[in-house]
Amino acid sequence: MRVEYINPFVEAAFDILKEVLGNDIQRGELYLKSTSQAVQGVAAFVGLAGNVEGRVLFDMSMETALAIASEMNGETLTELDDLGKATITELANMITAQAVTKLHDLGFTFDLTPPAIFTGENMEITDNEVEALIVPVIVKQGKIEINVAVRERT
Amino acid sequence: MNAVVDRAETAVIERVENIDFKMVTFSLAGKDYSIDIMKVREISKATRFTYVPNSLPYVRGVYNLRGDIISIIDLRTMFNLPLVKSEKKSSDELIILRLDGYLLGVIVDSIEKVVGISSSAIQPPHPIFGDINIKFIQGVVEKDNKLYIILDVESIFGQNADNVEVVPTQYTSKVAYTENKPEEINMGFISETLRTFSKFNVTDLNNKWVENRFEEWKKLKGKNSEDLQLHSERDSEEFLSRFYSTDTGRFWSEEYRNLISSLLENNSSGTIRAWNPGCGKGYETYSIATLLSEKFKEASIKIWANDKDLMSISNAPNLALDKQNLPKYMDKHIISVNSKSQFNQKIKDIVLFEYHDITHPNTFPTVDIIVARDILSFLGYSEQLRMIAEFQEKLVPGGLLIIGQNEELPVNDWKKIKNNNITAYRKIV
Repeated sequence: MRVEYINPFVEAAFDILKEVLGNDIQRGELYLKSTSQAVQGVAAFVGLAGNVEGRVLFDMSMETALAIASEMNGETLTELDDLGKATITELANMITAQAVTKLHDLGFTFDLTPPAIFTGENMEITDNEVEALIVPVIVKQGKIEINVAVRERT
Repeated sequence: MNAVVDRAETAVIERVENIDFKMVTFSLAGKDYSIDIMKVREISKATRFTYVPNSLPYVRGVYNLRGDIISIIDLRTMFNLPLVKSEKKSSDELIILRLDGYLLGVIVDSIEKVVGISSSAIQPPHPIFGDINIKFIQGVVEKDNKLYIILDVESIFGQNADNVEVVPTQYTSKVAYTENKPEEINMGFISETLRTFSKFNVTDLNNKWVENRFEEWKKLKGKNSEDLQLHSERDSEEFLSRFYSTDTGRFWSEEYRNLISSLLENNSSGTIRAWNPGCGKGYETYSIATLLSEKFKEASIKIWANDKDLMSISNAPNLALDKQNLPKYMDKHIISVNSKSQFNQKIKDIVLFEYHDITHPNTFPTVDIIVARDILSFLGYSEQLRMIAEFQEKLVPGGLLIIGQNEELPVNDWKKIKNNNITAYRKIV
């Protein structure tokens, strides 16, 4: 993954999460992954198109998703209903959009696809021949893994 | 008496029960091979296949099998086996395979018969069998004094095997490329500790250097085996300190750059592509970029540089230095930004720095030059093999591969160019 793309995603994730969930945020070590990976339970997915092809995946457990959606809505949600799902989707959209805006300022132009959300147990995601950058973020509601796989169009 | 009958009966029962695997046997270049009968739909004789333009060399064409159009693959060409031209034969022998929802015809020298065996008699493949890469072999079995190699057709023709023709069979069979496990105990310790402390793997790639260095080391440290051993990362780095190529981790000196320059052949294609795996902080990459942009003024140049160390590579795209740290020959590519020197936009546009692990899929197209100095030795044994094969695949014919000066490719299908401090290879056309 192009070095210039890394910081905008990390910064955007921090800025937005700080804004919506408060200050208590820690970052785990960044790393690369290429094989298929298990998804924890709730995965919000935003596709990228333009000069690059790829996607950003926000992966968290159901408990974390519920806690984050509850915090953002100011009420306690007991199941991930339409409101909860819309909230998580919106969070993914906000972070990706801010990263893309930052990248636009650096001269890289991409477009976003509308976000989608996947929920379920024992899910696994496989992108053939794509290496993903994993940005683990720990908030007080739990852990969110931001999984960015972007490659240049050749 | 009864006991004898019983035993004979049990033997018969055992034999009947045991045959649980049937295979179609055939010969390829004089050797016996077989395929699991469950994968075979039928056998057939055919001739005059319809040629498909621009297909891979081992695709003989398509064939109309009672209304089904199937592709025909010549196994002999696919595995680079000699074609036995027989005058008598007017048609080819075909095995029609039924694979995951589609049919495929393969041509072999001659189909023999169906042989039933016990699946427990199948033994795992050994690299010395056959001229076919071991990963395509399901196993080996002996029957009536003949040794049959059972081909794993799923892995040969499966979805992920579309690059079959580039898998260099000779790495496993013809050339003994081994992970060295030396007899001598001290040397064994050295290999072991180099791996532990510096992730340096002693294989045929660097064995010569390690042995020479060990002789030096003995002179340096004395005969006492306790003193000879590497006790820490520092010892191991000291041992390796002479391993690294000239100008590692800094810009190339003018002298070194001229040496490299002399290896580059004129290229009229208009595009030059290079790959610099393990670029670290990017000094080497910029040395290559400035060299190529001067040498090939008209060409459009692209360099893919990658490293899996995020800290090293993160500053590479916007490397800013004090002017005195840059070699003089780079002056014309430098602009001054906030009293620091940076490379101009033209050079920056040439290079694409990526945070990337080369053992993961490398998705860029073929390249003319690969500069991978002192990278391979720090990969595991099987990864080294895989990367050498990948270098071969990624280079255009005649392309240049530069590896560390103390490394040596243990395979002989490259043309070696040894030039003082440079170990380089050209891919044979």
